[in-house]
Amino acid sequence: MRRSDLGEFEEVVLLAVAALSPSAYSVSIAEELEHETGNAVSTGAVHAALQRLEQKGYLRSELGEATAERGGRRKRLFTVTALGGRVLSDVRAVRNRLWDRIIPNIRLEWS
Amino acid sequence: MSSLHRLMKPPRLADRLLTWFCAPHLREEVLGDLHERYALRVKGRGAAKANGRYWLDVLAYVRPEFIRRQPSDYPQPTNTTMLRNYLKIAWRNLIREKGYASLNMAGLAVGMAASTLIFLWIQSELTYDRFYSKTDRLFQVYNQDVFSGNPMVWGTTPLPLAPTLKQNYPDVEEATRYRPASLLLTAGDRKMNVDGAYADPSFLNLFDFDLLAGNREKVLSGANGIVITKSLAEKLFGTSDAIGKTLQIDHKDSFSVSGVLDDLPNNTQFNKLSFLLPWAYFIPPGWDSDGWGSNNNYTYVLLNDKVNASAVNEKIKHVTAEKLKGVIEDVSHRQIFLHPASKWHLYAKEENGQLVDGKIVHVRLFSLIAGLILLVAAVNFINLTTARSEKRAKEVGVRKVAGAQKQSLVFQFISESLLLSFFAGLLALLIVLLFMPTFNSLTDKQLSLELGSVNFWLGAMAFVLFTGLLAGSYPAFVLANFQPGKVMKGIHHSVNSVFSLRKGLVITQFSFAIVLIIGTLVINDQIQYAQNRDNGYDQNNLLFMNMTGDLSTHYAPFQQEMLHNGAAVSVSKSLGPITSLNSRQWGLSWPGSTKADKDVEFDRFAADESFLKTTGTRLIAGRDIDVRSYPTDSTAVLLNETAVKTMHLKNPIGTSIRFDSHDWHVVGIVKDFIFASPYEPINPVVVHGPAGSLPLSWISVRLNPANTTAQNLEIAETLAKKYNPGYPFEYIFADESYKAKFADEQRTGSLISLFTGLTIIISCLGLFGLAAYTAQQRTKEIGVRKVLGASVTSIIGLLTKEFIQLVGIAFVIGAPIGWWFMEKWLQDYSYRIAIGAGVFLLTLVSAILIVTLTVSVQAIKAALTNPVKSLRSE
Repeated sequence: MRRSDLGEFEEVVLLAVAALSPSAYSVSIAEELEHETGNAVSTGAVHAALQRLEQKGYLRSELGEATAERGGRRKRLFTVTALGGRVLSDVRAVRNRLWDRIIPNIRLEWS
Repeated sequence: MSSLHRLMKPPRLADRLLTWFCAPHLREEVLGDLHERYALRVKGRGAAKANGRYWLDVLAYVRPEFIRRQPSDYPQPTNTTMLRNYLKIAWRNLIREKGYASLNMAGLAVGMAASTLIFLWIQSELTYDRFYSKTDRLFQVYNQDVFSGNPMVWGTTPLPLAPTLKQNYPDVEEATRYRPASLLLTAGDRKMNVDGAYADPSFLNLFDFDLLAGNREKVLSGANGIVITKSLAEKLFGTSDAIGKTLQIDHKDSFSVSGVLDDLPNNTQFNKLSFLLPWAYFIPPGWDSDGWGSNNNYTYVLLNDKVNASAVNEKIKHVTAEKLKGVIEDVSHRQIFLHPASKWHLYAKEENGQLVDGKIVHVRLFSLIAGLILLVAAVNFINLTTARSEKRAKEVGVRKVAGAQKQSLVFQFISESLLLSFFAGLLALLIVLLFMPTFNSLTDKQLSLELGSVNFWLGAMAFVLFTGLLAGSYPAFVLANFQPGKVMKGIHHSVNSVFSLRKGLVITQFSFAIVLIIGTLVINDQIQYAQNRDNGYDQNNLLFMNMTGDLSTHYAPFQQEMLHNGAAVSVSKSLGPITSLNSRQWGLSWPGSTKADKDVEFDRFAADESFLKTTGTRLIAGRDIDVRSYPTDSTAVLLNETAVKTMHLKNPIGTSIRFDSHDWHVVGIVKDFIFASPYEPINPVVVHGPAGSLPLSWISVRLNPANTTAQNLEIAETLAKKYNPGYPFEYIFADESYKAKFADEQRTGSLISLFTGLTIIISCLGLFGLAAYTAQQRTKEIGVRKVLGASVTSIIGLLTKEFIQLVGIAFVIGAPIGWWFMEKWLQDYSYRIAIGAGVFLLTLVSAILIVTLTVSVQAIKAALTNPVKSLRSE
């Protein structure tokens, strides 16, 4: 993999931001990941990952609107930057290449 | 429904926790996220589950990235910011004023070091004999009686007393007899005379010294088991693992080591003890007896728990009197009483038949001195700091204008003093460590700092804190009280008012110094006076040997050869060394003596021949004792002048005296000589021939002055080896043991001298700084005076005069106090000086000299300054 500074959880969060765009923020991402994986995901963990990704330049953020459930507090919305998008597709390409090299018979045995 | 959900609030405590730890710039989004998700959860799974999860979610934010605060471009003052500023300013002031800071620090450090040393000494005195696990139940039995109107108290008791007390009085849990003895121990080819004691088996239960090997209950119960200390074991056997090894006592009886004691601590009265022998082995010497009439043993008692000592005292007080009925004439005043262990060392002075404050007086005196030295050092600090306070006045003004409260200024200046006293403390620690060996040899103690213990460092910190507060509180309040308006305008105090503030303190310092100077002078005078006292015999070339082993049977050839080989000019047997009192005798009767005369106590000494020639005492009338030329001289007696006077004898020679079951006849009169204490008056003395019941077990030797001492000793040693091969050659010199009589006074004298010196040094440090400051304050004035024609001497006089006045006042205060203290001290000595005017004159002159020297350095410097420089300085 070209970029070694992208952890597994970070990669998933980055993907989620891309998928949930334009309303990707801690709560929506945590809910989505919980729904998809079936494991409990805390907003704290997601938020921390988002901050790290933003520091690395894969994400950018802005403050969004406030709602009543939030007690009138604004949410921080994240979008993937061009660099982030490139990293995502790089990672995907590597994966795809590796997947493609698996002999079809073996893949059948797993499923 | 939805309105109900909106009413559901997440746990407030969790929110509060989050608000506390989460960085402010993230709080909004984080709390929003949490609340939104909470609302979702309540909808989906109910409030209970949502509340639980909420806590977990909050805790998930405990990460550095949420806790770390956003750096800000603007200062955010915290508690430590001001503190750091205080320390920085304090440090800058120290660096800028190196001279004053080091004067201040040196004074404090010397003061702290001195009081630390004294404190260690006091601590060791206060723990003396008080560290046994049963200390509060331990007692020594003392005797009391009245002899011809003189109440007496003494610590030796009859031999059967201890068993009787234990048997007859259930309050007494244990009682032990104790009798010190110096014996020759041999193991293989090693032999040495060692100090030890006989004791009952319970001794080690009363005094629980560390027993390295052996069973505490049994080590002394066997008939031939001996307990020795670790260091004696190492000396005798080369190993501390000595259990079961055998040694011989006096070449006669073999003992096997049944127990090894750890070396005894320095602060117990038994610290010279090297071995313990079972009481069963003890055979009283011929002159002693196991009856109730002889008092030669110590009795220690352990009372039962929760028994009132004074009640026991009441029960036992007539025990000896009952037994002595018919043995001595009048038993109505004979009593015994219990003296508690906690008082053995400090409250055991025998005076008028009572045990009164003894060494505790020294402890009190030195605590006072320690406190005062620290105070003197603190006064220095106060003087220098307040004198220089104007340097800091502007700073105080600016701080106050900028909003500083008075208490924060006080805090600032106190923390400054604490910083300084901390440095001084470090310096003091160094001084103490450096001078500990000297101080130990001076005080004959083994003090040490327990650098490894937490308590020591806590104590040291407390001490630094105390000193800092003592020295820093007053200056801090003075500084913090400055009015910003006044100091900013530059209104200064006049020279005089600056000075008057400190006059009292300087006077206090010097009063104390003057008291100490008087003390030093008087103590040294007294020692000198007693040393110069004519002791009545010739202490040079006089040597004493204990007749051990075979020496008594081979005495005649030994004496002959000593004389023949030219090692000695005279050799005689005697009762003991003439430098120490061995025996006292009462109940003498002579023609014309009354019944009351029987109570008169005589110092008793005995010799077989040439008493005068050997000791160098001088004859007044009659002749010397000489059993060789006059066989009847075995019952001859020499009296000293005091005895003749006491007995009211007109023609003493030939008088018959009766005591010790013999009739003695006086053959000569000796000029008075000092037996025991050079401070005491001379008692009546009888020197009798060898017929008495006490054996003459010492040899007195007058060495041949024609040879060197080394030559004489060599011959004596060869002869001693020849006639007494089993024993080491040991001897005592008269001049050395005479000198030892002054050791206590000399110790007090050198300690007082030391602390006087220190007090003077500290006071002078302060005075030096103060003088420098006054001179600096008056730079302009001095310049103007010089321009107008004042001479250098008049300016020096101007600057010195005030300080001399202060010393004068201090003298007026200190001299009577010093006189009073020293009068009290001298009361203990009957052969003593009178405090004359000379002492006070010398004190005054030396104090003035010291002050003039200290101050004039600064005064001369100021007076010699070119007025052009001092007047141009603005």
